[in-house]
Amino acid sequence: MQRYLPWAAVIVVLAVAAAVATPYFFSQPANVSGPSGAAGRPAPVFTLRDDLGRSVSLRQYRGSIVVMNLWASWCPPCRAEMPDLQKLADADGPRGIAVIGINEGESPQRARAFAGSLRIRFPIWIDSSEQYGRTYTALGLPTTVIVDRKGIVVRGFDGALTLDEMRAAVAAATHST
Amino acid sequence: MTRLIGPALVAGAAVCIELILPGEAVYHSGWYNVAIAALVIVAVVSARGVFTRAKTLRSRWATVAVAAGTIAVGLAGVANGLFAPDNRNVVGAPGQRVRVESLGTLSFPLRNGDATAVTLERPLHAPVQIGARRHNSGSFMLRTLPRDVVYVEARDLHGGRLTVTQPQGAVFLSPVLLMQQHQAIVGVDVPFDSFNVPSAARVVKAILFNPQQAAAFLHDPSVAGGAVLFAVDDENDRPLPHGIAMSAGGREVSAANLRLRGEIESYPQVEVVSTPNLVVVLIGLLLLAGGLIALI
Repeated sequence: MQRYLPWAAVIVVLAVAAAVATPYFFSQPANVSGPSGAAGRPAPVFTLRDDLGRSVSLRQYRGSIVVMNLWASWCPPCRAEMPDLQKLADADGPRGIAVIGINEGESPQRARAFAGSLRIRFPIWIDSSEQYGRTYTALGLPTTVIVDRKGIVVRGFDGALTLDEMRAAVAAATHST
Repeated sequence: MTRLIGPALVAGAAVCIELILPGEAVYHSGWYNVAIAALVIVAVVSARGVFTRAKTLRSRWATVAVAAGTIAVGLAGVANGLFAPDNRNVVGAPGQRVRVESLGTLSFPLRNGDATAVTLERPLHAPVQIGARRHNSGSFMLRTLPRDVVYVEARDLHGGRLTVTQPQGAVFLSPVLLMQQHQAIVGVDVPFDSFNVPSAARVVKAILFNPQQAAAFLHDPSVAGGAVLFAVDDENDRPLPHGIAMSAGGREVSAANLRLRGEIESYPQVEVVSTPNLVVVLIGLLLLAGGLIALI
């Protein structure tokens, strides 16, 4: 047994060397960017005001699949996408799908006027300090995030979606819960 | 025996000091690591002699333990010195998650003082809050250091709030400017950043002056908290008339048909300092100490 002692020590030392040095040779991408990076994590909950000044929070929607659409009035793709979001809200609302438009950084008056001009009836929240834009690391506007019934982010999308893409995303969230 | 114990203890001390006083540049220098490696080699060669002369199984085990402990500690030190990245300060925007090579993901709070301070997330580990006290996460020591950032608000002339974006910044939608770039103004080095107000087709440069600089530029010694100089351009980067204004103490100012406010806030950055792997060093030290006690 004694003659194997040095060899045992050598093996232990080599194992230690591998354990010590290996992490330095694994590289990872520098940043977790874009709304898709939030998938699988609990959706952040902020207390905001809606365009009528009422206090609102994602907590009120626990149990529903939530389609959160981050937008601003100066963003042409947001304007183009809004009618499809309203169609989704009209068609799937009774099935427990909630569409929420979250205005990023603008005044309630401006948001309300914009939504009114497009006959938007789903809730409009005012995120004046762009908290959702920051936490979802939005790369641009619009950004859409799907939250499942348990409040977990299923998927995030950068850019405008078509109605079919919205329905597919919601269907995926339905299957995941 | 002295030729075994002496180098082993010195090598152990040289690596331990990297944990006690982390972040010194000397730990990454070639001569420091060559010295540790040389001490380890001398200890191992001496251990071979002590091992062959040992008369009992206990002293043989003890010799092997000392050699193995010295090698483990030495390897941890040399691996840190040669392979570990240099010290760095990780700057993240509020709400941003930044991956740090070989470490994990740092999740930055939305505002300084949030219950969720900078959080380190790693696979197979519980999330850890990083604060002003140094935290050892295996091969790295982390702590937060304060730095000045600027929270900006833009409004139209009717007071309606406008979206602030940062197409060049780490986070596109964020009213918090990280002020990571620097420029010299009349020989004074000042940090600056820029943001867009898309609905007004404006690009705004924000230059941060600390309290002393602000007092000198404004000729007002009562400026206590620093100031932010706004320079407003159109979307083609052409300067606009009446497009320059200084906001001191968070006051709102008008520039080129915008009402702007800049509030200077303290926000954490994370200092990441590489150290020898704590677990390996502890195991090595235990072997070393145990072996020495058994030998003596």
